[in-house]
Amino acid sequence: MKNKKTLWMILTGLVVGAISVGLVLAGNPKNMGFCIACFVRDIAGGVGMHQAAIVQYIRPEIIGLVLGALIMSVAGKEFRAQGGSSPMTRFVLGFFVMVGALMFLGCPLRMVLRIAGGDLNAVVGLVGFVGGILLGILCLNQGFSLRRTYAQSPLEGGMISAVNVALLVLVVAAPPVIFFSAEGPGSMRAPIWLALAAGLIVGALAQKTRLCMVGGLRDAVLFQDFYLLYGFIAIIVAAAIGNLITGNFNLGFAGQPVAHSDALWNFMGMVLVGFASVLLGGCPLRQLILAGSGNSDSAVTVLGMFVGAACCHNFKLASSADGPTPNGKIAVILGLAVVAAIAALNIQKQKSNK
Amino acid sequence: MNYIATFFTHYGAMTFQRQLKSQGKAAQMSPVPRALSASCGVCVRFDGQGLGETAEAPDLEGVYQETETGYRQIEPET
Repeated sequence: MKNKKTLWMILTGLVVGAISVGLVLAGNPKNMGFCIACFVRDIAGGVGMHQAAIVQYIRPEIIGLVLGALIMSVAGKEFRAQGGSSPMTRFVLGFFVMVGALMFLGCPLRMVLRIAGGDLNAVVGLVGFVGGILLGILCLNQGFSLRRTYAQSPLEGGMISAVNVALLVLVVAAPPVIFFSAEGPGSMRAPIWLALAAGLIVGALAQKTRLCMVGGLRDAVLFQDFYLLYGFIAIIVAAAIGNLITGNFNLGFAGQPVAHSDALWNFMGMVLVGFASVLLGGCPLRQLILAGSGNSDSAVTVLGMFVGAACCHNFKLASSADGPTPNGKIAVILGLAVVAAIAALNIQKQKSNK
Repeated sequence: MNYIATFFTHYGAMTFQRQLKSQGKAAQMSPVPRALSASCGVCVRFDGQGLGETAEAPDLEGVYQETETGYRQIEPET
């Protein structure tokens, strides 16, 4: 049974890697078949929350991920409407996950896809990501907790999915009030229905297998359990093979697509992402999947990422291919301080036994 | 160790495991089995000696007995 489970995880990783390469061929930016941070940022731009003209598009992949998780969780009788575990704290953590991700230019999933494309800057990001996860694990071992969740109404649990259906209507109907980038990464997009289908498949598989970039490293360190890590590795293998076949593999630091080569800030950005994500209990992909499965705390985290993305562009925090911005560096340092404070203030004191 | 306690929080699992270990009872934390939850939380595996301690465990979600065919829910009683 365990072997079958592991096989499912490896297959899921291979499918995610292959679909990511396919989405690039179909029009998405290179090494960006999927990127939760970039795509949530694009959606924020698409609905006019920021005015960075090159990153505005309501990405159907994100909609598909949430709805794929919803469909799979309902079909498997695993849809659980629950929440109430420090939602505002999660909002702030989600905000700073986005600040770190847009410093590095990618979420943990895109970090993996960038590695598979030969982008060695992402290896630097991975080292930072591991460092951030270790910081988070240290806090878990000290008794960090955002406290328990409680059952909620199905309407509450399904609200984020309803919002995503509304976003789908918007991007299909394309009324003049929403924004579509005419150039830059936001203009590079796979056809809507293909992107939606890709998101649905990956969302369903991720719900079924619990695929999580943060969880993989956390479980490997804490429990020497490598189940989730197999998915992580399978994505790299499949995407690297796909990139080699399609001629999109380019080993090196310089000239990588939608990336910069400032090692220190690639590292620092992903420290922030890893640290905050462990406290949240999962990577940005996992937050989308849990949100679709009825977890309103994860939905609030996604909203934190959404607002964070808008602020990153409005306040010039986001990096570009030219490198990080001075404001972005300050924001990452501030983010690390805020996340550390949240961690320290949520260390629970162990009750003495009666 | 054929009993599994699931928790709403990592902290709850860690506290329960430390409580059992401090009493010299077998207990091990691990990722919660997929058959018990779609969440990516953690659980504590323990043996029958620890059953009496679950009432004191913080943030306890459920207790299960591992059987040859799967899991039998013990708490909350169904």
